[in-house]
Amino acid sequence: MKLNSTRLVIATAMLLAGGNAAEAHIVAARLGDFYMGVVHPLTDLQDVVLWTATGVLAGTLGAAKGRWLIALFPLGLLVGLLLGQVFGAASTQLADAAMMLAIGLLLAAAAQVPTVLLCAMAFAVAVIRGAANGADLAPETDRLLFAAGLTCVGYAAITLTMALTAVFKRTNSDSATSWRAIAVRALGGWIAAIGLMMASLALAP
Amino acid sequence: MRAIPYLRLALLALMLALAVLMRPSALSAHEAAMGVLEFREVRPGAFVGRWSIEPSIGASRVDLRVPPHCFLRLPEMNCGAKGLVGPITITNLGSNMSVVLIKVIPIEGEPRSYTISTANPVVSVLGTGAPTLEVWLELARTYVNYGIDHILLGADHLLFVLGLIWIVGSGWRLVKTITAFTIGHSASLAAAAFGLIGVPERPLNACIALSIAFVGVEIVKQQRGEIGLTARYPWIVAFSFGLVHGIGFASALAGLGLERRLLPAALLFFNIGVEIGQLAFVLLVLALIWAHRRLGAVVPRWGEALPAYLIGSVSMFWFFGRLARVFVVI
Repeated sequence: MKLNSTRLVIATAMLLAGGNAAEAHIVAARLGDFYMGVVHPLTDLQDVVLWTATGVLAGTLGAAKGRWLIALFPLGLLVGLLLGQVFGAASTQLADAAMMLAIGLLLAAAAQVPTVLLCAMAFAVAVIRGAANGADLAPETDRLLFAAGLTCVGYAAITLTMALTAVFKRTNSDSATSWRAIAVRALGGWIAAIGLMMASLALAP
Repeated sequence: MRAIPYLRLALLALMLALAVLMRPSALSAHEAAMGVLEFREVRPGAFVGRWSIEPSIGASRVDLRVPPHCFLRLPEMNCGAKGLVGPITITNLGSNMSVVLIKVIPIEGEPRSYTISTANPVVSVLGTGAPTLEVWLELARTYVNYGIDHILLGADHLLFVLGLIWIVGSGWRLVKTITAFTIGHSASLAAAAFGLIGVPERPLNACIALSIAFVGVEIVKQQRGEIGLTARYPWIVAFSFGLVHGIGFASALAGLGLERRLLPAALLFFNIGVEIGQLAFVLLVLALIWAHRRLGAVVPRWGEALPAYLIGSVSMFWFFGRLARVFVVI
């Protein structure tokens, strides 16, 4: 029974991780490359986990620290996309895993991350994922439209995640033992675990 | 309150991306390469297809997709008992083949024609007999999706809605304004689709661009402390310009070869699709307004006027581009 559940989880994760290109290209055929840029990251497990983790981390640290990401995160996606186009596709699996692990651990530890470090981490996540999103573009894809869609969805996703987390956590002075703070820390633990699993997969011979 | 300007800048960037980057393909001139494909029903559900006018790229290179239950291997197409009901599309339309006319000649009933073009790449064939439940469901699926697609790809309509939200803010005033816009464009969409009113597409598109410029001016007025027409009577402005935008929506339905008996239902479903897309956009904008307020994201005071001028500039860029197309065949 346990084995079946594990298989189910792995199969679901693989389906989620593998479905991105097909889903996004269907959207492109229907609504064009701008919306392909919008949907592409939302159908990729790495993007969903990393973007959520970054938004939640920033949201828990408070609006004063997090609001920088409203501009920085989309900018990082754009830079990543550009770098990916210039230097070609490279595997980001290990980098994704490392970032998930790092952000997950910071969340689990309820660490008070300085603004500069938060911005640097969020920018790094955005650059890595921007490059990854641009890696499997078809030659006929309009790069400019795709980039516009990707940055728009990056802006909306990070802004809404931060605001929702800030509302969920209520105040910065919330007790570390309140159920809300514990829920966020538990989420961090899960994210770190996913990162660890992904790192193992990436390093496996 | 200063969160709003920052949000405006961000939203503007989003809209500018839509507006500037979704450059209309119609602006690029090319010769229309047309093909005509005829499907003649030889027995119920079975058709013989032939190209009466072959497209310049060659018939074998046309990537024609028929409804999933139909088996196509030209010249034969077999759709079984369900008949030829569902979407037909060509995936490789482009500068070499921009328009394909599909003629369906049933055993009983009138022949029908459907136009597949780069602007309308999917047509929906809805059978010849009395509409069955499957036909209604297919009609709903096709036209709701078509309405959603149309509004999501209509950067000008979305920019106008954004301008309205900008001026009236949130709450009941916004609900009334958006409702008035909906009533306006639904009424004119119906009137245009039934042929009660007819406006040439190119001047109409120029007027739509001008409506956005009007909203841009109203935003500037509001920022200067003046009470403009939109701020005073937002629902009247929304309704009036909704009438103009609705005729624009109707042009999207034109040329689909839709039968008159199914037109009211198609119109209803198309309008539902437009409303779903519009509502999703409004909710997204409101969610972002809320998020910016919650995060206290602000912009320097010097930047507050910039978005309104950018909206005005984009809309006037569209206006002059569209106006040029009224007088010059591009």
